[in-house]
Amino acid sequence: MLRSSNCSRAFALALLLVAVSAADAFAHCFVGPRFFPATLATDDPCVADQMSLPTVAWSKTGDVPPATEWDISADISKRITEDFGITISDTWSNIHQPGGFTKAGFGNLDTTVQYQLLKDGPHELALLVGLAVEWGGTGAIDSGLATPWSTLTPTFNFGKGFGDLPDSFGWLRAFAVTGQIGYQFPTRSFDVDSGTFIPQVLVYGGSIQYSMPYLKSEIHDYQLPDFINHLFPIVEAQFATPVANNFGNSPITIGTINPGVIWVGTYFQVGAEAVFPVNHASGTGVGFLGQLHLYLDDMFPTTIGRPLLGGNSTPPQKLSF
Amino acid sequence: MRKLISLSLFAMSIAVAHAHAFLDHASPLVGSTVASAPREVSLTSQNLEAAFSSVQVTGANGARVDQGKPQISGNTMRVGLKSLSQGTYRVRWQALSVDTHKTEGSFTFSVGGR
Repeated sequence: MLRSSNCSRAFALALLLVAVSAADAFAHCFVGPRFFPATLATDDPCVADQMSLPTVAWSKTGDVPPATEWDISADISKRITEDFGITISDTWSNIHQPGGFTKAGFGNLDTTVQYQLLKDGPHELALLVGLAVEWGGTGAIDSGLATPWSTLTPTFNFGKGFGDLPDSFGWLRAFAVTGQIGYQFPTRSFDVDSGTFIPQVLVYGGSIQYSMPYLKSEIHDYQLPDFINHLFPIVEAQFATPVANNFGNSPITIGTINPGVIWVGTYFQVGAEAVFPVNHASGTGVGFLGQLHLYLDDMFPTTIGRPLLGGNSTPPQKLSF
Repeated sequence: MRKLISLSLFAMSIAVAHAHAFLDHASPLVGSTVASAPREVSLTSQNLEAAFSSVQVTGANGARVDQGKPQISGNTMRVGLKSLSQGTYRVRWQALSVDTHKTEGSFTFSVGGR
């Protein structure tokens, strides 16, 4: 890969992917009969009370020779109102270069505020907007794992299940897709220390997922083993493309494609994905991503699992049937 | 972090009375074809709140073929059916779990050949 400034650029973009993912990737999401699990690398389209502890990633960088990188992150998401929530997250990284050099430390603290624009149950459609902030100077700047400048990333997310297709589509109705796009603005345009411009970056990605619970409860109960009926086979993809103020830097897009599976229980989920870099600047070989995710709203429905403001202590409405 | 994990696992172990009311089992089975007309539809879910859980069964023409308010016993909700002829029927259900989480869904089953 990547030497000198190109190396720094790719590493910074990789950190960006980690930061945006960690900040945005978690929410407990029911839309009509559709459940969108918390995806590991990208975001799902709901605000909720959630906690991921931990998310673990292992990969090899695109350096020559490649360094081995571990990222361990934690986050907590809390609804302020029914439709407005905040996520706080951070990531600890350890990067071991061949030859014995190792750097480790925390990245910058990330916060994300999100607003639920829409939850359309009959069409299994959810829309979400948010603003992610990476707070500069709150991480290990000396180790190169964090930046002294902050970044702001307005984001838009959507989720769409295909359960509203005609019954003749059969098992295909269990598919769903999610997507996200964000535009990252750094609070500085130039890094004096490295003498490079700090680009504005388009961050985007999504997932295609298949819901075995949906297949069982909405389409056809094949009486498969219970473990199978809790699975979501999934493929996620995430990308970052510098689009402005990138003078002298590589314009290359980095990203990964992550096939995996999520097992969903009543109070928590466990996910694992392989991580395939889309090019050499994005990494070397196949990495791994795993996560334990807790549904705080189900675990603590009367306390920390409900919105701080406007939550109901009684059933919200009498159902129509 | 270790304390947080321990606390979370403890919470999961004691929180048995909560969570969304997922559909665990249906009779007739979701998407199945049964040879003879069933007399009732039963849905098994978690933590049903009787006052706010409901089920509706309709035929191909949209007419209701259930006999009204469902009976809830434990985690099972049952609704009687009128005499069904051969055809496909849709079951729509909504459930409120004891912690006020709402869950809904629908599925079809068929009587006789399709």
